[in-house]
Amino acid sequence: MILNVENVTKAFSSRGKEKIANDHLSFTINEGEVFGLLGQNGAGKTTLVNQILGLLTPDHGEILLLGKSVLKAPAHARSICSVQPQSQVPLGSLTPKQAVTLMGKMRAGKGFNPKRVDELFEALDMTEWANVEGVKLSGGAQRLTAFCMAVVVPGQLVILDEPTNDVDPVRRRYLWQVVRSLADQGTAVILVTHNVLEAEKAVDRLAIISHGKFLAQGTPREVKGSVSNKVRIELSLVNEIEEVSVPDWAHSLRRNGSRLLFSMDPSRISPTIDWITDQVDGGLVVDYSISPTTIEDAYIALNSKKTEGVS
Amino acid sequence: MNGLSAYKYVFQIQFFRNAGFLIFMTLIQILISIGIVIGFTYMIPSPDTDTILFLTTGAPTIILIFSGLVILPQQIGSAKSDGYLNFMRTWPVNRSVILGADTILGLLITIPGIVVSTIVAHLMFNPGYDLSWTVVPALLMIALTSIGVGYGFSYLLSPVASLSVSQIVVFFSLMFSPVNYPMDRLPEWLQALHEFLPIYSMAEVMRASLAASTFDASLGNYINLLIWCILGYGGAIFILNKR
Repeated sequence: MILNVENVTKAFSSRGKEKIANDHLSFTINEGEVFGLLGQNGAGKTTLVNQILGLLTPDHGEILLLGKSVLKAPAHARSICSVQPQSQVPLGSLTPKQAVTLMGKMRAGKGFNPKRVDELFEALDMTEWANVEGVKLSGGAQRLTAFCMAVVVPGQLVILDEPTNDVDPVRRRYLWQVVRSLADQGTAVILVTHNVLEAEKAVDRLAIISHGKFLAQGTPREVKGSVSNKVRIELSLVNEIEEVSVPDWAHSLRRNGSRLLFSMDPSRISPTIDWITDQVDGGLVVDYSISPTTIEDAYIALNSKKTEGVS
Repeated sequence: MNGLSAYKYVFQIQFFRNAGFLIFMTLIQILISIGIVIGFTYMIPSPDTDTILFLTTGAPTIILIFSGLVILPQQIGSAKSDGYLNFMRTWPVNRSVILGADTILGLLITIPGIVVSTIVAHLMFNPGYDLSWTVVPALLMIALTSIGVGYGFSYLLSPVASLSVSQIVVFFSLMFSPVNYPMDRLPEWLQALHEFLPIYSMAEVMRASLAASTFDASLGNYINLLIWCILGYGGAIFILNKR
């Protein structure tokens, strides 16, 4: 086990009001595991990460990295974790190549292999920027540089806080491939994000955090199963005014312009496909998709339950 | 990794990151120090050699104060607001290594200004320089005190507050401090304040090493610098390690 977070609670007080950022959170991460920490803005994700890094002290609870308390050995914690922060790393006049190489040397010392930098840049298709001054780089290129700084010589735990912000869709895929290969080599990864769709594909396990509490925790399948086991249908109608009579087993029907969405029990898939084929033949439907419940569905369901509970 | 190679890499990151800014600041420092030497002689009509010696041996102190108490706090203020400071705090190195690297950078940008202005003043006025071997340790001690105090307050205060402090410091040290003129010209209460603040001690120690046959620094001046230096770095390390 790389990381063990036990019952961590952290509150901040501002102007006499106490805000609980983390409320009795517990989880563990093993070698080679990608763990997603999902939550909305202000849910308490970054506070949790800062405690793992030893930048903040928990009010209650204990955080162990490789069995050692972060509180008692903060320098040990920093040597184990490498971080891509949520905010951009201002590179100034540093080029990506200089920044990543120096970070690698800082972690590996003389044993650092400079080829690793070129490999990373190639894997992320960012060789063209390798020698451009940081101030002249686009937001996405800066973000990728910060990602490389965190993973060039990964600690046993890599923490990525919103790593794909500003990054284009093609390079996002490359980035997830790099993350997966890190995990394959035994590195544990914490992925902090509010981008739920991406996280679903990238993580092995995840926790959904809201108002400092975990709403659900487990593999993507387990988290989805905790909400519903429905299948999602999405139809594109010929035009926006067309009325379609849907089968009576359709739940939570939604109409969004010419798109029609509903969910249903998986046992009804085959009559549904027959029904859709009729609609296509009748010229009412242009195309359609059938997909299992996504983490995003679960995430929204869990968060809206939480909101209902609060109000 | 040992401390020395950690220092090397941190220094390189900080140096390359700020390369453009550092070169620019070095040039500004050269201009300011020459400006103090030449400009002040315009303010004082037909200055005698003693006055000129005061001005020319005061300029390096002003430059060191400027570097440690103005430029550095501004850099730390922006590193604080853009999250870079927190990012540095996650590096797998001892925090004092980061302070050490930035200290040397702060020192390096002041040296050309001090050297150039001293040579210019010597050639123009020949005011009676008499370099003592103490010039190197004196310079180091003044720089460390100035940078240490700059560190201390810029880590302690918010970026806006530390910017205000540094503006006041530069005005106060130029106009109301016995750096470019003798202490006895100041009102008594200011003299008392300067016995406590480090500016006067910095100026005395600098003068005593640049014109050893004319000026003396007391043991009290050295002790004063030492105390402020420790307070500054101590405060900065405390804040860097605080959680």
